[in-house]
Amino acid sequence: MNQDTELVYSVSEFQEICNQILENAFTGVVIEGEIASFKVNQNKFVFFDLKDDKSSVGCFMMKFALRFPLEDGMKVRIRALPKLTDWGKFSLTVQSIMPVGEGSIKKSLELLKKKLAAEGLFLPERKRALPPEIEKIGVISSTQAAGYADFCKILNERWGGLSVQVAHTQVQGIVAADQIIRALNYFNERSEVQVIALIRGGGSADDLAVFNDEKLVRAVAASKIPVITGIGHEIDTSLCDMAADVVASTPSNAAQMLSRDRKEVVSANRAEVKRVFTLLNSKIDFEKQNLEINCKEAQRQINVKITSYEQEVSGIVKVLEQLNPERVLARGYALLSGNVAVGNVVNITTLKQEIQAEIKDIKKRS
Amino acid sequence: MATKKISTKIDELKAGVEWFYSDEFELDKAAAKYKDLTVLAKDIEKDLAELKNEIKVIDEDFSK
Repeated sequence: MNQDTELVYSVSEFQEICNQILENAFTGVVIEGEIASFKVNQNKFVFFDLKDDKSSVGCFMMKFALRFPLEDGMKVRIRALPKLTDWGKFSLTVQSIMPVGEGSIKKSLELLKKKLAAEGLFLPERKRALPPEIEKIGVISSTQAAGYADFCKILNERWGGLSVQVAHTQVQGIVAADQIIRALNYFNERSEVQVIALIRGGGSADDLAVFNDEKLVRAVAASKIPVITGIGHEIDTSLCDMAADVVASTPSNAAQMLSRDRKEVVSANRAEVKRVFTLLNSKIDFEKQNLEINCKEAQRQINVKITSYEQEVSGIVKVLEQLNPERVLARGYALLSGNVAVGNVVNITTLKQEIQAEIKDIKKRS
Repeated sequence: MATKKISTKIDELKAGVEWFYSDEFELDKAAAKYKDLTVLAKDIEKDLAELKNEIKVIDEDFSK
């Protein structure tokens, strides 16, 4: 080959071309491996090696992008851009990372739980009750997820008239946490809903790992609008559950907690009306009894009055009898009537006789 | 959507029931009040049966 026609690059140019080729070949490669030599420099820069049985590759990321506590030996899945550094070292610039595998997820979860608990994110006094009358609900979920379908089914069965805004996001995988955070921000910026329901059906530990993402857990805790979580099954507890205001065991349970049951309302209303019917009848019976008692009392009072009048009249009759002049005449007395003067004729009445007598003399009694 | 909110009607029903237990109770008015309550209860049942939720997926791409 002719030396004049050969392409000759400077080191920088070569490095730049390599990076362009890498960028075109891998717009964002997802790799799983085990962490080794994990370290944080200047509290900003994170370095570690990602390895498997045969190979190892150096990784770099900014600490703020770290969403889970990591340590050597943990299995992780990363999304990264391959890069040839200025020092000629091949490296992966990590865009996102999450633990995979039950052991790693559990380990990461315990580390993060300890950290956030120490900050008070899970304290009971931070929890807010659900509004008493819920009419506007914000839902964050994948609209393709079975859990979302369960949520809607139960909500529609139980109650009506609710306004439900649904933010469709991924609910698993490496990008899900950021999407859910954006949805939380969306609802909080608009303040149009009274409660946010974070919904996801059951899944493996890997599937549910997103709900242990540090940024997402912090976003749930910081939400101005109360958050209810309905994630996984009864046995699953994520850090989002611990940071949320209210925890439902499943998406269906979340729907139950957010809505009244129309059947219960109908049943309660019927019971109320029946209770009033019984009460009304008892009040009518009571009034009837009162009426009877009052009638009897009135009758008794009348009788008392009659007796009283009878006794009074009887007394008067006795007095009158005492005053009857016939009774005096019967005792032998006589009644004298007329002008009492010597020579006058007066009438004398006895019990059995009427006598006319002339007055011969009148003397004063001593 | 019913012209009057169901929650308002339920509150009215509760208030109507309370009247029967209150000092304001008058036997003369009770029969009419009871009839009103039964009508209101049936009205609520009808509303509940007809009421649908409005579930709307937000037209926003949260992947970006």
